[in-house]
Amino acid sequence: MVTIALAKGRLMEEAIDVLEAAGVDCGQLKEPSRKLIFFTPDQQIRIILVKPSDVPTYVEYGIADVGIVGKDTLLEEGRLLYEMLDLKFGQCRLVVAGFPEKQDSWITRSHTRVATKYPNIARNYFSRKGKAVEIIKLNGSVELAPLTGLSDVIVDIVESGRTLKENGLVILEEICSISARLVVNRVSLKMKNREIKALIDNIQMVLEERKDGEVN
Amino acid sequence: MIGKLKLSLPDGVQDYLPDECYNKRKIEDKIRKFFYLSGYNEIETPILEFFDVFAGVKPSIEQEHMFKLIDPEGRVLVLRPDITMPIARVVGTKMGDHPLPLRLFYLGNVYRYGEFQACKQREVAQAGVELLGVDGPEADAEVIAMAIQLFLDLRLAEFQIDIGQVEFFKGLIEEAGISEQEAEEIRTLIDQKNMLALEMLLKKLPISVHIKETMYRLPQLYGDSEILTEAMKISRSPKCRAALENIYQVYGILKDYGFGRYITFDLGMVQSFNFYTGIIFRGITKELGYPVCGGGRYDRLVSEFGRDLPATGFAIGIKRLLIALERQGKLEEIPPVDVLVVAEGSQRGRAYEFMQQLKKQNKRVEMFLSTEESKNPLDYARKKRIPRVVEVREKEDIVEHEIDF
Repeated sequence: MVTIALAKGRLMEEAIDVLEAAGVDCGQLKEPSRKLIFFTPDQQIRIILVKPSDVPTYVEYGIADVGIVGKDTLLEEGRLLYEMLDLKFGQCRLVVAGFPEKQDSWITRSHTRVATKYPNIARNYFSRKGKAVEIIKLNGSVELAPLTGLSDVIVDIVESGRTLKENGLVILEEICSISARLVVNRVSLKMKNREIKALIDNIQMVLEERKDGEVN
Repeated sequence: MIGKLKLSLPDGVQDYLPDECYNKRKIEDKIRKFFYLSGYNEIETPILEFFDVFAGVKPSIEQEHMFKLIDPEGRVLVLRPDITMPIARVVGTKMGDHPLPLRLFYLGNVYRYGEFQACKQREVAQAGVELLGVDGPEADAEVIAMAIQLFLDLRLAEFQIDIGQVEFFKGLIEEAGISEQEAEEIRTLIDQKNMLALEMLLKKLPISVHIKETMYRLPQLYGDSEILTEAMKISRSPKCRAALENIYQVYGILKDYGFGRYITFDLGMVQSFNFYTGIIFRGITKELGYPVCGGGRYDRLVSEFGRDLPATGFAIGIKRLLIALERQGKLEEIPPVDVLVVAEGSQRGRAYEFMQQLKKQNKRVEMFLSTEESKNPLDYARKKRIPRVVEVREKEDIVEHEIDF
């Protein structure tokens, strides 16, 4: 049996779509329920629902063999995993954002306060640039931090940019682009090679069909 | 406030209570005996070493991972983060008169911050062997065979030894003639089996199509010996081909030993390629999401300590082995004491003599000591599942009781 960890929230619906298209019967997951563990009818696959930031943990420990999770979470958690497929959905950008008028001053200021849900990504990014920053870890509504004066800038993911705009913030720097990834435990790939390879191949086929669909 | 931590332990260390300690020691005893019977001699190095042993050499261990102390002269000491490097120090500085090859083994703790993925221990019990002075495939096969034999002896089920060869990747890098930083980026992506990012990165680099294609195949070159055939077909550089030849030779020897079925390959295993110089391998089992053992060839390390010696070896994580064996239901309970001895005050001497005789026969014996909780030896024996109680009395000789549970 292969266990797949799915990130609840933003990515879940599309993750289920991809799995279904790849032949994994996720019918049970679509019914309203508070259950956290599901089995496909043939009992070949177990799906567990976890918080996005916990997906890499479950996969690294080998409790889940496979996980579907955003690249932002992978970068933040920095776990030792195989990152085998870019699933292409959940696309967004990881950016530094702030007030446009502060753009010049914050770059030159020696001590910048950065509010973010991604303290590790933010710390690495600014340290690579040789910039001293104070990281303020928040758990949500990060845009509020510069508005209320808690921080000078934020590091966060941006999909359309609407939330930023509505709050009068602009993108100051782009860190990288983000999408959902398929990750695999390093031992599972070897010990359950046949099952996992079949799953990966099926998902890859779905991705290629989708790509062809876009072109046509 | 001083004292507020007195009931706790620092992160990453643990107490081994009797049940776990019994199994840990039992495994360690088996390992020690097996290494000894395989012609290896045990070696012990101090837990405290100079920082330079690990940081002032190439390859080095990152300073973030080491526990540091300062001695009275202001020099930096560390709790050893590894045992292979101290052994290289000993071999390089003190064992010049020992005939080669040197076969050494150790059991001991290493100390590290972070890095040890999952089961985040900072004090890690390891056992390992080092075979120094031989650079041929026979030496690599010898240590890999030892790992396999040991797992078989410990009755670990469903394990596999995954073999790689870092020179294959190094051969490609040399052929490509790219910068160290670019090579490191490629290495990271190959190690993560991140095909898409690898493809994008390779597109940007000014290297030949052929090398790009081989690098792009690398993450997929894992599995049974078929992947070696494929790798041989697509390899042109002599260094890559030599690396593959080397794997074939080691694999051939392991097949002669009857161990072929435990072996798989992964040419994309490039994680610690700064340290290793040839064959590398990891032992994995279904029960654990991370390797139980790891090792490989490290021909450059000993020369950092003044003596040019090829070397190969591996280390086992004892705790990881314990977890895997527990999940497979292979741990044992501590056997109960065989005999409980109860002595009247005046008969202490006789009772003691009697107990010594039993111990000589390899029986576990315990002297009954009355406590508030248990005043009756028979009740106590029942509770502790001791099958035999022997009373040494003044007048009569010896009274025996068999205990039913």
